[in-house]
Amino acid sequence: MNKQHNNRIGIKAWLNPWRYGIERFAYWLMRITGVGLLVYFIMHIYETSSILDGKEIWNKMLDLTQTPEGHLILVLVIGMSTFHTINGIRIMLGHGGIGVGKASRPDYPYAPKSQNMKNKLCIYASIGLAALAMLYSVEVMFGE
Amino acid sequence: MIRESMIMKIHYATALGSVALVVIHVLFRLTQNFHDSLKFDNVITNYSLLPYSILLELILILISIHGFNGLRVILLELNQGQKYETIITYGCLASMIALITYGSRTILMTSMGMI
Repeated sequence: MNKQHNNRIGIKAWLNPWRYGIERFAYWLMRITGVGLLVYFIMHIYETSSILDGKEIWNKMLDLTQTPEGHLILVLVIGMSTFHTINGIRIMLGHGGIGVGKASRPDYPYAPKSQNMKNKLCIYASIGLAALAMLYSVEVMFGE
Repeated sequence: MIRESMIMKIHYATALGSVALVVIHVLFRLTQNFHDSLKFDNVITNYSLLPYSILLELILILISIHGFNGLRVILLELNQGQKYETIITYGCLASMIALITYGSRTILMTSMGMI
């Protein structure tokens, strides 16, 4: 009878952003920002539903959310959505075969052609543009 | 059951659609001072515009589909198994329908002046 080894690393492997370079970091960040944005979206739907209870309750909800802490959360959401959007477009193009290079014989050191400089630059650009969007949103929300 | 390749096409289409619509939604907040745009009367005026209400409803549907399908994909990457996959798929579908229903209630009632 074959002995089965439980060698599944599970979430520990999923959370390791360092071992596989910037692509792994982007993979990890894409999922974290996705979950973060979904949580924010659910909270936003709940928050806006308070308008049905009238002006007083709406203003109370605004008092809760329109605070420096609330604005910081919004700044984070803007950064997450910018990264998620730009990196998402990169992934879509990659799945369509754009920017991943032509298929060829694998040779030493077996560097995957799909993980080329174009893709790496796109990931860095996603992170950079997310930072710029966050700076702009700080200006809009705290600069008034 | 829909093929996974078709689900990914829907995932990408909802992503592109929601990005375009969310940009308009955010620009609406920036047509005036950010804090003023959130005042009760301003928000009610926004909802009373039919095209804006339709925009909000579309954003709600597109992001709910995209978000809960994304969550389903993440959870299926973490673990596999027939029972687990069925629970995750139907759980995400049910959550998506619940969120769309709850959000639509707000949009419909506010745009029809039922507050």
